[in-house]
Amino acid sequence: MAFTLRSVKVPPNSVTLEEARSRTFDFFRKACRSLPSVMEIYNLHDVATISHLRSSISSQIRKNAHITNPKVIDMLLFKGLEELNNIAEHAKQRHHIIGQYVLGSEGLVQDHDQDRKDPGASKFLKNFYTSNYF
Amino acid sequence: MTSIVGATISVPSSRSLCFNQATPRISGLKPVSVSIQKKSFPSLKFRRSFRVSCSAKPETVDKVCEIVRKQLALPADSAVTGESKFVSLGADSLDTVEIVMGLEEAFGISVEEESAQTIATVQDAADLIEKLVEKK
Repeated sequence: MAFTLRSVKVPPNSVTLEEARSRTFDFFRKACRSLPSVMEIYNLHDVATISHLRSSISSQIRKNAHITNPKVIDMLLFKGLEELNNIAEHAKQRHHIIGQYVLGSEGLVQDHDQDRKDPGASKFLKNFYTSNYF
Repeated sequence: MTSIVGATISVPSSRSLCFNQATPRISGLKPVSVSIQKKSFPSLKFRRSFRVSCSAKPETVDKVCEIVRKQLALPADSAVTGESKFVSLGADSLDTVEIVMGLEEAFGISVEEESAQTIATVQDAADLIEKLVEKK
């Protein structure tokens, strides 16, 4: 089994925040350009669309948007590139992709029984069951 | 002895023959044509750029507006015209890149990084799309 790696050597750290920003955009463009092949590999045509996956990628990038240290940004980009390589060379499986990138905050287990068994539950209770912060 | 004399006589004549053949060939036509081409280029360029800036089709602009509106989650009645800048509609730099990628996917083109940096308004994006679709 030959796993082809996209880039084995690590580029030197970015000097300024601007360089880190442009590297982030390059990574984002690379990821978006590989989305059609990802849809083909994992057969996601019924489950998600390309724009859905694109917005999930950008929301994950945006989660770390507050960071100002260029070295930390480089490290995050390295991890993101590694993840992208894994996905593109079919090292992951369909349920990984669906669970991590297609589903939103509800996660893998969708408890629809809640609505059927306990329809009188208030919005407060529903929020309370999902998380501590609301 | 006589053969040596004969040999020495024959050498200078051959040298003079070589001299006659080695005349440099100057082609005076070439430099003149290049200058004519140089003169006509600037006017062509000027005309072409003038044409592209005002020729984005309205349906292209509408499609771009639709994609922008969906990406930035704007309500359906917000004013998105050709001159509205992405920044004024509430998009940060990542949103701009994402809009460009959405346009790439919708129109089946591929935008270079340098041209993507220069896009600031909806009209810029529509013009770039027109140019790339024409080239295909």
